[in-house]
Amino acid sequence: MSVSMMEPGGAGSGKRHGPGSQDFDLNLAPIIDCFVVLIAFVLASAAFLSIGILDAGIAAAGAASTSNSTPPPINIVVELKKSHQMEVKVTGKMNRTIPIAATKDAWNYEALTQQLAGLKSSFPAVSAATLQADDAVEYREVVQSMEVVRKTLPAVLLGGF
Amino acid sequence: MPKRRGFLRRGRQSEEMALQITSMADIFMILLVFLLKGYSTSVVNINPTQGLMLPEAHAAEQSVEALKVEIAIDSVLVEGMPITMLKNYKFDPTDRIANGTLKSLAPKFELERKRQFMIAKQNSDVKVDPRIMIIADHRVPYSTIKAVLASAAIHGYTDFKLATVRGE
Repeated sequence: MSVSMMEPGGAGSGKRHGPGSQDFDLNLAPIIDCFVVLIAFVLASAAFLSIGILDAGIAAAGAASTSNSTPPPINIVVELKKSHQMEVKVTGKMNRTIPIAATKDAWNYEALTQQLAGLKSSFPAVSAATLQADDAVEYREVVQSMEVVRKTLPAVLLGGF
Repeated sequence: MPKRRGFLRRGRQSEEMALQITSMADIFMILLVFLLKGYSTSVVNINPTQGLMLPEAHAAEQSVEALKVEIAIDSVLVEGMPITMLKNYKFDPTDRIANGTLKSLAPKFELERKRQFMIAKQNSDVKVDPRIMIIADHRVPYSTIKAVLASAAIHGYTDFKLATVRGE
């Protein structure tokens, strides 16, 4: 039995070509209807924004502690201050406070990365940092800073409370 | 009358015409397959309230199941239930306790924690979960975030997960 779907003059009609002919056309109209409705529903309920998760608690700290059982030689605290100024406070085997000035009314992330990379090269065992911020600093800026710190030190914890 | 004859002739010709919809069915099929492939099948469902804009982050992981705390423009919601109101993204100063935690959020966190403990007591397979997901607007000041995190931490929710929009 031969089935013709491409032949013009019958798609959607479903009728036979002749009394003795076994050629017939598939009726695609209901399938098209189903597809249109399905696509409309899928498009309406689709999420076009992908939501991700940033670890900022004990999971981040836990990841650091499992990789090396000994306590880190230094503790690093990155503090976001008013007017886009930052401070890197180092305690432990080294006690230092490194101020990072703003550049053109913006956070100087390049300088922060450089400072953190310097600390990381001096103390390779360090893999975590705590991020603190002034009350007026916006959440967006905190998340941005977390991302910058994570490039050098993968475990970033939120602190200051 | 000649006009009428012409109309009849056209009608007879159009009986033979039909739309070719096979190719359209093919296109719809491919479209449907692609849409279903990209469709999120995750159990975790995050629906931020209207007007809430999440901060953007590039290196973010997949979403996880945790207690959801939403910090919107004018309210804080725990598991979709409004718990306290905010004024210009800030808590009322009278809501704060000396240690930086919030009076209004404490009962809800306590209730959720008790519920977890009860479930864990009944079912040994279930463990008490310290995870909490913060779904906050990107304009919220850190003082508000800090107060929520402090209130959560005091009730045992110490594993903070920050919901972000994945950037390019």
